[in-house]
Amino acid sequence: MEKPIIQLENVSVGFGPESDRTEVLTDVNLRVMENEFVSIIGFSGSGKSTLIGLLSGLVKPDTGAVFCKGREATEPGPDRGVMFQNYSLLPWLTVYGNIELASKQVFPNLSKAELKEHVEHYIEMVNLTPAIEKKPHELSGGMRQRVSLARTLSIKPDIMLLDEPLSALDALTRANLQDEIIRIWEEDKKTVILITNDVDEAVLMADRIIPLSPGPNATLTESYNVGLDRPRDRTTLNHNPEFIELRNAITQSLMAMNAEAKKLRSNTELVMPDIRPLDLSAA
Amino acid sequence: MSIKYKILKAIDVAGLNFLRPVILLCYGEEPEEQIRKIGLFIAVPIMAFCLFLYLWGLFAPMHKTKSGEVPTPSVVWDSAKGVWAFHVREKNKANAYNLEGDSRDKLLEQAQTRLSELEPMVARVNEQLAEADGAMQSSLASKIEPIKAELDSSKNAMREAQKARQADLQARAKAIAADDTAAKEKLLEDYRAHLAQIETERESLRSYEEQIDEIHNADFPQRAEAIRAQSAIAEERQYLVKLIDTLENNRQQKLSDIETRLEGFESSYYEASGADLLKHAKSITRTESLMVNAADSEYAKPMTLPDQVLRSVACVFAGFLVASLIAIPVGIVCGLSPIMMSALTPFIALFKPVSPIVWLPIFFIIVGGFIPDPDKHWLIAGLAELPLIGWMKINPAFIASALTVAMCSLWPTLVNTALGVASIDKDHINVARVLRLGFWSRLIKIVIPSSLPLTFAGLRISLGVGWMVLIAAELLSSSEGLGKFVWDMFNNGSSQTFAQMFVVVFVVGIIGLLLDRIMIVFQRLVSFDESPTSI
Ligand SMILES: Nc1ncnc2c1ncn2[C@@H]1O[C@H](COP(=O)(O)OP(=O)(O)OP(=O)(O)O)[C@@H](O)[C@H]1O
Ligand SMILES: [Mg+2]
Repeated sequence: MEKPIIQLENVSVGFGPESDRTEVLTDVNLRVMENEFVSIIGFSGSGKSTLIGLLSGLVKPDTGAVFCKGREATEPGPDRGVMFQNYSLLPWLTVYGNIELASKQVFPNLSKAELKEHVEHYIEMVNLTPAIEKKPHELSGGMRQRVSLARTLSIKPDIMLLDEPLSALDALTRANLQDEIIRIWEEDKKTVILITNDVDEAVLMADRIIPLSPGPNATLTESYNVGLDRPRDRTTLNHNPEFIELRNAITQSLMAMNAEAKKLRSNTELVMPDIRPLDLSAA
Repeated sequence: MSIKYKILKAIDVAGLNFLRPVILLCYGEEPEEQIRKIGLFIAVPIMAFCLFLYLWGLFAPMHKTKSGEVPTPSVVWDSAKGVWAFHVREKNKANAYNLEGDSRDKLLEQAQTRLSELEPMVARVNEQLAEADGAMQSSLASKIEPIKAELDSSKNAMREAQKARQADLQARAKAIAADDTAAKEKLLEDYRAHLAQIETERESLRSYEEQIDEIHNADFPQRAEAIRAQSAIAEERQYLVKLIDTLENNRQQKLSDIETRLEGFESSYYEASGADLLKHAKSITRTESLMVNAADSEYAKPMTLPDQVLRSVACVFAGFLVASLIAIPVGIVCGLSPIMMSALTPFIALFKPVSPIVWLPIFFIIVGGFIPDPDKHWLIAGLAELPLIGWMKINPAFIASALTVAMCSLWPTLVNTALGVASIDKDHINVARVLRLGFWSRLIKIVIPSSLPLTFAGLRISLGVGWMVLIAAELLSSSEGLGKFVWDMFNNGSSQTFAQMFVVVFVVGIIGLLLDRIMIVFQRLVSFDESPTSI
């Protein structure tokens, strides 16, 4: 069998001290093959970002292990490029400076001119050339998100861990960048793990979609393979019966999981009194 | 980007935001709002300052001290002008010592012309003063005469009355029989009444005298004006005389004098023979060494207030530099390592509150240990050779003051830097971890930039503290500077020097303000989140 490029094995992780612990992820198993495009979808607060942290090596698992390219990965590195949900731009650097810092570190052999070209290429890709000399605090939320995406793309990681990379963008920019991510993934033979809460986006982009059950004790559930042919055309997809079916199935399963979680919660909360109404008719 | 935006940005960075409404008004933006803001941020402070000056002028003369009245704003202003004039004149004299050839002749001529212009003016002011004196005398006389007459007459009347009472008592005493106790008692009582009467009479005479004194002491504006004019002219005259004297005996003049003398000695040496030769040779060598001395000689210019200001500023920057060089690295280390932080906390807590008054003598002795003989020490000699600061004559007192400034001002920078480094955003560290930045790259590219705003906030506080500490340190160490100026003025104790101390208050305040402004600009330049800096 083909070996996965990145793999989680029975990973559990929680936060907080012993006395007041929240188990965020429990017994998570994930195998992502080389050049696969996996999308993870889940409710807010279920632990998606924590999962990205685990995959990148920034969060240590309490139990279980993370393997990357066949070896246990304990430290983060630029081969697993993370795009952080909160962008994590360095506020004292300009758009250019932020991307340059990352590129220079990962590609130390580039000449000055090459580096400049490289950085400018990625800034152009996310349409930020006019804002190239601006500092993050001078940018809108969506612009910052694009800078963050450009930074992650610019270090050309083998595995891209994208945490809701397009959530703050308008539909048009979003579609453009979706195409861009898919193009890079296809052309450079990358592996992508994309966190999203938009089912359409997941179905449009991914090979495989894995829903994350709601927390606490969230875990990855049965995955859905997306068999749609590439390139996928956004305009016709909406009428594609396979697309519609898949989308509905995933949505339904998420809803079901949510309802179950709620019920579970209410079950634990409400203890029913052990009484029955009198059957008056028997009398 | 429009010019308007650039101007606004510039004044924002410079911390001159009170000018913002003026600029906006010039561009005609919401004029009413801008005028309201100008009123609030410009007119109100100006009015408050005017009110302050008025109250100062009103109350200051009410308090009399050993050094005269507390000076009013106008006296302080005049005194500031005097300080400046003194500076300019000393500079001119020092300059005159170096002049050669044409420029010297020209200046000499100018000075002589001015001096001859002054002569009639001297006469005039002297005349005016005499006139004012006369006017004052006559005005005094006219006021005092009647009081004096009254005083004399009542004095006479009282003396008469006293004599009469005395004679009466005398007569009664003679008439009293040896056993007439009642009469004796009565006499004693009357005698006592007599003495009391004398005392009250004296009291009433004293009140006249007080009146006269008051008239004598009262200000006589015309005369004060004349005295001021006379002393101004006398000062200028003295200055011109000194200037001419300096020009006539300046280095070039001295050198050419000595040269002619030398030539004379040389020719007589070659004419002479036998035993005289050595005598002449001695004259020649002595004159030659005189020549070397003259060539190296400088005008002995006293330190004037502007010089002292420059020296103080240099001293505070020297101390500030030392403080920064210590505080920033140590702060970074403390911020990075909780162990270092924990180890250094007691030192910070212990030394931070120590007063400069304690540090100064300690540093003074320590520096003295390193530089026992300042005149011969290489460091002092080397510093004296430096182009921009050589004239400041940096000495151990200067170094001790600077070190005191450093010791007292390094704490805010240290603590702030440590805090800035320790409180770095975890997200930024995550970026560094993903990129696998090494220790030094992480330090230089992530940790230091993110802590810079806090570090600069600390530096700003440090510079402010340093400036306050410096004045005290200079005062104690007698290092030429503002502190020493104040101390000299205090010891001088005249009303003029009293006013000059007030000048120093404003000089110190304005320079402190400028230093703070400079630091604000730096702080704004390194801050990345546009958070406003406190004023
Ligand atoms: N450092 C932390 N300390 C304590 N609890 C944490 C920490 N990080 C995450 N959590 C908890 O873990 C849970 C999952 O957080 P996470 O950020 O992974 O959610 P998410 O799925 O990414 O949500 P969203 O879609 O809103 O981004 C949350 O309940 C959160 O409170
Ligand atoms: Mg998240």
